[in-house]
Amino acid sequence: MDYLQRIVILLILLLASFDEADARRIVAPHNYGRVIIANYSERAGLAPVVFNHWVHRAQYTCRLCHVDIGFAMEKGATKITAATNKQGLYCGSCHNGKYTYNGKTVFASCSGTTSRNDAVCERCHSLKKNSDNEGEFKVFMEKMPRKSLGNGIDWEAAESSGLIKPIDFLEGVSVQRPPIKAQKDFSIEANVAWMSDVIFSHKKHAFWNGCEVCHPEIFPIKKGATRYTMLEIDSGQYCGVCHDKVAFPILDCQRCHTGAKY
Amino acid sequence: MRNKRGSLAIALAAALVVLAGAPVFSDGIYAAAAAASAQDDWKKEFEDICSKTQDSMSFTPDELKSLVGRCDALKPRIEKLEETQRKVYLKRLQMCRDLLAFVLESKTGK
Repeated sequence: MDYLQRIVILLILLLASFDEADARRIVAPHNYGRVIIANYSERAGLAPVVFNHWVHRAQYTCRLCHVDIGFAMEKGATKITAATNKQGLYCGSCHNGKYTYNGKTVFASCSGTTSRNDAVCERCHSLKKNSDNEGEFKVFMEKMPRKSLGNGIDWEAAESSGLIKPIDFLEGVSVQRPPIKAQKDFSIEANVAWMSDVIFSHKKHAFWNGCEVCHPEIFPIKKGATRYTMLEIDSGQYCGVCHDKVAFPILDCQRCHTGAKY
Repeated sequence: MRNKRGSLAIALAAALVVLAGAPVFSDGIYAAAAAASAQDDWKKEFEDICSKTQDSMSFTPDELKSLVGRCDALKPRIEKLEETQRKVYLKRLQMCRDLLAFVLESKTGK
């Protein structure tokens, strides 16, 4: 078998192993963390909603939306309707035409109050419409610290340096709570000898997620009691609920596996 | 003097209305006030329980058991809310309960 044949076979093997999971990872930075919400929109004569996590996570913690407002962590599971928005729930918690952020009034959701195909509706119901998500993202990204993969932003550094100040309380929606007492960081032993252990920072995760985002739904486990694998994470369980979808992808091994092994 | 006469006239008019049995406050207004109060009750209880999740590691098992019990007692009240509120607040209550039960389990080893 000559050199060229070997290359061709290698390419075929690579293509054959390129499945949906790999395709998922090749996403343009401005589309990383994008969720298409299409439960009811098309039946109502509207385009599906394009939800960009990057827009929202620059302004709010994950906890605020996924605990206080109650958005499910699973795509399509919340079943948002015009009625819920109109009552000030889900998107309508902020998109009500009254709530202000940084001195600007947040536009109201189109919950039966505006005409169909109105420009207001298309700000969210924008799949295959003319939106400039890419351009807006580029402008936003210029000021942000960079990191490889995902959408290329080091969100943790952006928060710790004060470039973004995600809000964790929404008047009339959130419950007043004392500041969280973060648990200590701990190490998670890698399942294989050649990989460094994970140093898990409760502090970093608790800032964005509080307690309820992760426990017990995603991590119903006590430390060390259950072993989970990279295959499970890759299939969207445990760390994979966020990492690979919104938080930086698991291909970036050394951002978690930081423990000294040797 | 003119003010005094005016006040007297208003007081007399009010007394006549009451004596004549005029429905100054209708049943509807009382019902709405009662409903608003009932709504506040469940929400206050919800907020009181769920405000404690971030402190949950500092509670004793008995305190955690009590909080889990309060979640269970509150659930039927939230189930009576109209559909959209019920959906949102049942999920939020469930998240609080699950976390409190999780911390309780991790403390008691059960």
